[in-house]
Amino acid sequence: MRKGGEEELDVFFNLTLNGLATGMLIFLLAAGLTLIFGLMDVLNFAHGGLFAWGAYSGTWLYATTGSFIIGILGAVVTGLILGLITERVIIKPVYGNHVQQILITLGLMLVLSELLKVVWGPNQLSATAPDFLKGSFELGGIIIIKYRLFIIAVGFLVFVTVQYVLKNTKIGLVVRAGVMNKEMVQALGINIKKVFMLVFMVGSGMAALGGVLLGPYSGVIHAEMGMEFAILAFIVVVIGGMGSFPGSILAAILVGLSGSFMAYYVPDLALAANMLLMAVVLIFRPQGLFGWKG
Amino acid sequence: MRKVKSIFVQRKNIVYTFIAILLILFPFMNDSRSMMILFTQVFIFAIFAMSYDLLLGFTGIVSFGHAMFFGIGAYAVGIFMKQFEPTLPYFLLAVVITILITAIVSYVVGLLTLRLKSHFYAMLTLAFASLFLVLAEKWRTLTHGNDGFTFRTPELFRDRLDFYLICLVSMIVVFLLLNRFTNSPLGKVLQAIRENEQRTESLGYSVIQYKIIASVVSGVLAGFAGILYSVSLRFVNTSVFTMDITLDALLMTIIGGVGTLIGAIIGAGLIEFAHHWLTELAKVHWIFERWIIFFGIIYILVVMFFPRGIVGTVRNIKMKSKKRVIEKSEQQKAAG
Repeated sequence: MRKGGEEELDVFFNLTLNGLATGMLIFLLAAGLTLIFGLMDVLNFAHGGLFAWGAYSGTWLYATTGSFIIGILGAVVTGLILGLITERVIIKPVYGNHVQQILITLGLMLVLSELLKVVWGPNQLSATAPDFLKGSFELGGIIIIKYRLFIIAVGFLVFVTVQYVLKNTKIGLVVRAGVMNKEMVQALGINIKKVFMLVFMVGSGMAALGGVLLGPYSGVIHAEMGMEFAILAFIVVVIGGMGSFPGSILAAILVGLSGSFMAYYVPDLALAANMLLMAVVLIFRPQGLFGWKG
Repeated sequence: MRKVKSIFVQRKNIVYTFIAILLILFPFMNDSRSMMILFTQVFIFAIFAMSYDLLLGFTGIVSFGHAMFFGIGAYAVGIFMKQFEPTLPYFLLAVVITILITAIVSYVVGLLTLRLKSHFYAMLTLAFASLFLVLAEKWRTLTHGNDGFTFRTPELFRDRLDFYLICLVSMIVVFLLLNRFTNSPLGKVLQAIRENEQRTESLGYSVIQYKIIASVVSGVLAGFAGILYSVSLRFVNTSVFTMDITLDALLMTIIGGVGTLIGAIIGAGLIEFAHHWLTELAKVHWIFERWIIFFGIIYILVVMFFPRGIVGTVRNIKMKSKKRVIEKSEQQKAAG
């Protein structure tokens, strides 16, 4: 009887940890999405493509150099560069036109994921964690997988850093002001276009970081995973409120946890549960649970 | 002025009729089986692309989940033919069920998001389509999961030639219907919404209701295209719900020309034929296996530089030259 209870506790902790880790990965994707949307009014449908590019370039670099750190850094740099190119070449010409933006970023998504297959081939790549993050340890009778903890730590670190920058630096102030009213910021003599570019790059870098972290977590990476995670990120952005950065982490954890628990107890309804959550939010609070923009 | 216009319209109609007759005669002149099948695919996807055009081109709504309606039709007919008898009454029942489900789904999705910014509809349809994909994968007893299943079709659709003609006639009927629909007062309101939503709203039109109507009509027609698609293959699997199907519709309408209907048909022809030829070229160089990349790049360039696509761009050029002709004749009149 007691044994059963302990096992259940074990399962509960594992699912929680699992959900938190997945939530952090979704957060890394959704944070960029929501910041870019809040500031530039652009919903980037190519964000999943940047995520997948981060995963492939990072995994490949890790496999060739043997250093996980270089892999992660390489992925982030890839994300930053791709973000820069995307903003300059694809997004800039269509600022202000919503339909064109949506269409063009989806086109970019298509090109990005096809290019992945051109560069690394159409088959999935396998990815493993580095030795120092492999395996698990026991804490008070509960087995904790190291890599999951690592993802949660990285995600949390990114959140704290970005939140600090947003709240305590001049550039953060400009970004927050831009989310509220970009015309006003521009009227005050600040080059908002430069800020757009910077935010887009940082958002892409975060997405790429999420991608490379996913590799060892799921074991294999493939080109379609960009879209899969992007859909979850969209759900998160809607639930958290479009443009709300703190909202994105809370909603991401919510979606991650509900996904992990549902996948264990009622596996067939995992995605449906999140969709239902989104539908309810859309009906009653279209500005999101934590957002203020409609 | 009116006379000039009517001459142009007349000439256009003659060209369309001529092409339609050519397409009807085509299988009797050319007995290449693969060509006929390819053309059948073009007709089916033309219906699908036209239904998409009603949303994107005429109402200005971007949907990224159009595949779900296509897939609902494809699975409905497949399941009915497999579980019951492959007879015409059951086929018609499948059609009715498709219409019902697609109408309900598009109505609900529309109701949820069409009052919000255009992003929401794009996102929610994308998410809904992935939900249907998961449903088709998981509901194994009915869908046989990823592998899909083959089924027998009613007698009427078994002959390739007959089916070719059925698809062709369906395409023409859908074209005429949508042409009538978009030129009706209701269609004009939809176009007004596309041009300026706030202004239409302030003119007293309940924008959301018109948008929902467009979304339902479009969804039902896409479901119909899905029915024809799975009947043509006599097979259905989860690929009908994938993003690729939606992307096909997007590429076809955007490259062919949004808001023109005929552009969707031309786009469908272009993409299907390009797919056919380019996959054959894959033997020459592996890059052609990734043929979609070229279309992705063309698509981006079209969105950026020719947002009206092939047909729209040609029409613009024509319109300019027409204006010039009219101006000239008026100048002559004034001079004479």
